[in-house]
Amino acid sequence: MSVALAKSRSDRDEAAPAAHGLDGLNLFVANIQTGFGPFISVYLTTQGWTQTGIGTALSLGTIVAMASQIPAGALVDAIRSKAMVALLSILAFSASALLLALRPTALWVYAAEALHGFSSCTLGPAIAAMSLALVGQAMLGPRLGRNARFASIGNGIGAALMGACGYYVSERAVFFLTAAVTLPAIISLLPLARLRDPAMLPVSSSGTHPTRARASISSLLTNRALVIFALCAMLFTLGNSAMLPLAGNTLTKEAGNFASLLIAGCIIVPQLVVAAISPTIGKLAEQRGRRLVLLIGFCTLPVRGMLFATLVNPAALVLIQALDGIAAACVGILVPLVASDVAGRSGRYNLSMGFIGLAIGVGATISTALAGWIADAAGAPTAYICLALVGLAAVLLAFNAMPETRPP
Amino acid sequence: MAAAGCRNALTGAAVALVLGLLCVAAFAPQCSAATPVTVQAQPESSPAPASNEGQPKTGAQTKTIENVEPLSSSDATAVLGKKVKGPNGEDLGLIVDVLVDADGRPRAAVIDFGGFLGVGSRKIAIDWKALDFTALGRAGTVELGLDRAQIAAAPEYKPGPLGAAAVTAPPAPAPPVDTHR
Repeated sequence: MSVALAKSRSDRDEAAPAAHGLDGLNLFVANIQTGFGPFISVYLTTQGWTQTGIGTALSLGTIVAMASQIPAGALVDAIRSKAMVALLSILAFSASALLLALRPTALWVYAAEALHGFSSCTLGPAIAAMSLALVGQAMLGPRLGRNARFASIGNGIGAALMGACGYYVSERAVFFLTAAVTLPAIISLLPLARLRDPAMLPVSSSGTHPTRARASISSLLTNRALVIFALCAMLFTLGNSAMLPLAGNTLTKEAGNFASLLIAGCIIVPQLVVAAISPTIGKLAEQRGRRLVLLIGFCTLPVRGMLFATLVNPAALVLIQALDGIAAACVGILVPLVASDVAGRSGRYNLSMGFIGLAIGVGATISTALAGWIADAAGAPTAYICLALVGLAAVLLAFNAMPETRPP
Repeated sequence: MAAAGCRNALTGAAVALVLGLLCVAAFAPQCSAATPVTVQAQPESSPAPASNEGQPKTGAQTKTIENVEPLSSSDATAVLGKKVKGPNGEDLGLIVDVLVDADGRPRAAVIDFGGFLGVGSRKIAIDWKALDFTALGRAGTVELGLDRAQIAAAPEYKPGPLGAAAVTAPPAPAPPVDTHR
């Protein structure tokens, strides 16, 4: 008895730095990713790039990211040390931020975009896999809630920091800052590297090591829960991802001098909401099931779309963005959680994450193009309504077809 | 065994990354802007309008040296990507494109205006005559006598057959330029 107690205490002592490391990793990685967002197009414009050239570079990044989702997932599954995967991915981020800052010419920018696109696909699954290894399947929901909290704090700080840096220093400095933030991300990774391999992978109930009995890819991709969830996530993203750019566009048009501040609010408010509620959402998913959380998150989208379509008050737009935070917390926690429910013990966890990631990527790409086209042809309110209808379709699909995946 | 193989491969990848970074660092100091040189297609004709970007044009006549004349940065400057400042020195946006007529004369500048970290900006075409380029060579900025609220009210620029409405500065109201005649 005392031996067992001592062991559990030493486990906890070992787990504490790792848990803090994971917190920091989520925070700094989200911070880094802010630098690689839409700001790249502003920066390349200041470097004399044409709009066509910028479009090509960004599309290249998107295509590489989408094409690598599934292969990158399979690769991460095959590599034992997820900390090593994370380290290499973060180093690739450093390289691509430095390339963007130092050599904003076509070839190097393409290289940076491709590098970033691929490593995003390996880093996300690696972080999820380390979370699973750290706390085990039973406690994964709360841990993912914590991940989401720190990631959103990182996003919020990143947006404020990079926005200020771009405004007061220079556009180029944003990418030096991004490269600099990769250092604390790597430092956060150190305590996670000490996690031993047996802990890196969950051991199934029968005690066999899961890598030795890896499920076939086809059995995974015909798994109903996974496919339905990926479809739901795709529909949701299709309705969701163009909403913020469209709202920002409306603000720039309507809000005059304060537009930039209000857009900053539209980006940061959801992050605050995620930071506040995601641990609760993680517990809710553990206690009341995934379906409930999925439906709560999805339901905010049609509501948000209808509110955007009917209200034009700029301050109201910022408040409505709080709904985005609820959805982001729910979906952000559920993607790695459902993947773990479906494939956590099959040795195909990261492949499943890649599959869902691909679905989300497809949804995001179509979303921006579709909403832009509708807004041009019929005005922003119509575009909001269409996005809301897509969101409603996601709710209906989830309600009718998505099974509960929480392990009994 | 397999894990060891993986680790070796990973170490290799890490080394390759570091080498790549070194290459970048090695290349970086070499980037310096040479004095732009224009190649005139027809040296005997009326002075050709300077290329907007001041960049050398590759032509078939590069071997005949008399077609080349230096164009210093005090004579002409690139405008793509330059900042547009308002009457009170506030940042309005970036020049992302130039609309020219059939004679190649600039008629309007397309300005990407507003937004935060690249989210929510709009493109607006501004009458070329409303822009003041005197500070361009010195400060790298272009001035425009419109404030944010006035620009926000301008119609969005959309390339394509629908046409582009251009906005002019209030002091010299001119009819909107129809760039697509």
